[in-house]
Amino acid sequence: MNAITNLSPNLSRRGFLGISGVFVLGACVPGCAPTPQAKLATGTLTPNLFLTLTPDGTVRVLSHRSEMGQGIRTALAQIVADELDADWSRVQVDQADGDRKYGDQNTDGSRSILLNYDRLRSAGATARLMLRQAAANHWQVPLAEVAAQNHEVIHAKSDRRLGYGDLAGEAALLPVPEQAPLKESAEHRYIGNKAVHVDAADIAHGKGTFGADLTLPNMATAVVVRCPWLGGGVKNIANQPTDVPGLIGIEVLDPSPSAGPVFAPLGGAAVIAEDTYTAMRVARDLQIEWTESANHAFDSGVLSASLRQALEQPGTPVPNSEKGDVDAAFAAGGTELSATYETPFLAHAPMEPPVAVANVTAEGCTVNAPLQDPQSARGLIASWLGYAAEEGEKVTVTPTLLGGAFGRKSKPDFALEAVELSKRLKRPVRVQWLREDDIRHDYFHAASAQRHRAIISDRGHPAAWLQRTAFPSITTVFAAAANAPAEWELEMGFSNLPYAVENQRMESAGIRPGVRVGWLRSVCNIFHAFSANVFADEMAAAAGRDAIEHRLEILPAGGKLTVPGMQPPEGHELDVDRLRHVIERVRALSEWDRPRAEGVGLGFAVHHSFRSYVATVLEASVAEGRPKVANAYVVLDCGTYVNADTCVAQMEGAVVFGLSLALHGNIGMKEGAVVQSNFHDYPMLRMSEAPATTVELVPAQGRLPAGVGEPGVPPVAPALVNALYAATGARYRALPIKV
Amino acid sequence: MAIKLNVNGREVEADVAPDTPLLWVLRDHLGLTGTKYGCGGGYCGACTVHLGGAAVRSCQLPVSGVASSAIDTIESLAERHPELVDTWVQNNVAQCGYCQAGQLMSAAALLDGNASPTDADIDAAMSGNICRCGTYVRIRASIHAAAERRAEGGSA
Repeated sequence: MNAITNLSPNLSRRGFLGISGVFVLGACVPGCAPTPQAKLATGTLTPNLFLTLTPDGTVRVLSHRSEMGQGIRTALAQIVADELDADWSRVQVDQADGDRKYGDQNTDGSRSILLNYDRLRSAGATARLMLRQAAANHWQVPLAEVAAQNHEVIHAKSDRRLGYGDLAGEAALLPVPEQAPLKESAEHRYIGNKAVHVDAADIAHGKGTFGADLTLPNMATAVVVRCPWLGGGVKNIANQPTDVPGLIGIEVLDPSPSAGPVFAPLGGAAVIAEDTYTAMRVARDLQIEWTESANHAFDSGVLSASLRQALEQPGTPVPNSEKGDVDAAFAAGGTELSATYETPFLAHAPMEPPVAVANVTAEGCTVNAPLQDPQSARGLIASWLGYAAEEGEKVTVTPTLLGGAFGRKSKPDFALEAVELSKRLKRPVRVQWLREDDIRHDYFHAASAQRHRAIISDRGHPAAWLQRTAFPSITTVFAAAANAPAEWELEMGFSNLPYAVENQRMESAGIRPGVRVGWLRSVCNIFHAFSANVFADEMAAAAGRDAIEHRLEILPAGGKLTVPGMQPPEGHELDVDRLRHVIERVRALSEWDRPRAEGVGLGFAVHHSFRSYVATVLEASVAEGRPKVANAYVVLDCGTYVNADTCVAQMEGAVVFGLSLALHGNIGMKEGAVVQSNFHDYPMLRMSEAPATTVELVPAQGRLPAGVGEPGVPPVAPALVNALYAATGARYRALPIKV
Repeated sequence: MAIKLNVNGREVEADVAPDTPLLWVLRDHLGLTGTKYGCGGGYCGACTVHLGGAAVRSCQLPVSGVASSAIDTIESLAERHPELVDTWVQNNVAQCGYCQAGQLMSAAALLDGNASPTDADIDAAMSGNICRCGTYVRIRASIHAAAERRAEGGSA
């Protein structure tokens, strides 16, 4: 190896003299006069926002998306590390503050990978190219001769290698190339495979930092008693407590006017104490008289009746949804099938209730909280504090780990509460929501109703299909005049159904609710996929057909449909062949054609949402008067996937989430107040109810990445209804299922 | 009032009202934030710790009643159940992770009393712990795997 060792100094000297070293390699012979080794510059390489390589070889990837269990911090790092050819064990992940410079940070809509796959691959590839270039320059060899491999740059010809950390400083002196070659899918070794989550060890050792785990010096804790009905506030507190050790005081939070700031705090009394339990205890005993608001009269039962009633009238036709002549087809007669479906309000109920720490000082404001969109929260906080636009940088919003979110924590009302209280108290304040607050003061998933009416052939094919949907729109939270479902809500499983129907019309109706509504994991897809999949099953059953066979028949034969989508670019392709493929795969995976025991039924559902394709089969029975799901089979085609194990986990979790809403989820409001309060009356699926779950990922590397966190949820409830029908002959058209 | 406790093998003292639930003493006064608040009503199990080796809901226990017993929390679990904690990590059990301290503490208590639990045993021992992310199938598989690793002497 002496010959090789001797090469470097010569090459370096030639480099210094400005002579190309390209042809020197072969020419140099052992015994070249040794000269001092040129020193590599020491430094840190930061070629872009998302990647930092320090001299010790540590790669720090910045996650600008929030971690709420979907494994995004790990997946983003996998993408960067793969294109960088980094050693995974030397990759660490930092969490980004909310800042416009990162681009979109709104961690919802199952789009973190879709939005960031290419740019993070490019971030890793750029650094890899710079490291190779730095090594090539140092060795005075052509770039093409040096390769990056597992945290080193290697010159195979001369058997020389340099670690990434050693090269970082030299690479940092180079201009950042505008383009860097990306790997082919087949070359990926992290993308597409399992990685243990970067936070897994911390979590299993009780060290993960969630919203409530951060303590600032002199921090107070607030528990807020909020008006039971939306829009009300404190009129009088009958028992102002005094002399409670640890109690700091009570602050009244005014309700925001209906046209007030988005995500503003609710009206209530904030009990502020030195510790959480003191605040909880005082809050529990407060006797508060509330001011009135129109929402005090709100009743969810009345709303549901109104939704049902709305379905009896023609609704607003969904633009471009009409095919053929539905009315003529119904007038012509035939075998008619119709059914009405209903779903209730739901609460998100993440295991971590909303919580936020804020510290407002003369210099600015810092917030640490489990927020899905720290960037929009930053803007709202700046505006809440009255900062001018150019003072936006005075606000720092740093997401902690999110202890579940499911859409709840994209609404930063709880952070604004902490900001307001810290501003008043002139000290750091943590606002801790109790579980009861969480259940009662959510941005609820909207109650809904759908009516389906069809003329079917003797094979169960719909010759005419009229669909109506009615639900309170999420837009009612943003605009006082809003009422009708928005186009993007209808694009979630309603206006973008793929079935081939000659005569079809879709209509919608909306009602303003007396509560805040908001998006919950998979949003309107929940009720739209529910009604459409159950109705399709009813069509098959009415004709005595196999549900999967029937479904494959009523889909177009193949090809791509341009369907509206909630995510840019608007209108993407729904590949019927991929939809058919997940159906075929779940038929095989579940052994659909294998007879089950007496009283055990299989139910099938399929749905395309968040650009992904998911087919689900559940195996269910009724035991001791309750539905029992023994097995779940899920096939997911999400295009290119990053962490295969996370995708499987998300499908497993989606089954549980879907069964919770199918079997238990029900929020009701009477006299403006939510009836439920905690897990005893708003139950979640538990271990004893969780089915064995088998998941298959469709290999689709190289295709556009699509959503994973949400699309597993919509098929679950209809698959269960269909399975219970197969098992018992009873058809449950309302959620939650009551047998 | 000052209350002396034995937490994770150490004598500690907290100056709190005697009716303060153990959960809040651990979190607010002893800085042991691995134990989580989930419901405050004993329904969800996020606050599960070991009291004299048994899995208990710390949100339901006034601190005055636990001064005489050994209290163990998630922060010391890996010392006693390294296979369990490691299996949890390697199997990516946690999604958001918020409930997992409670899940692990319930699982550890199960394994302490039953070295080779059946699915029915797991259902019975774990159904007090809610996971909203829905990690139940991995919890089940990981309890079985950890039991096997333990039986093999903690290797692998």
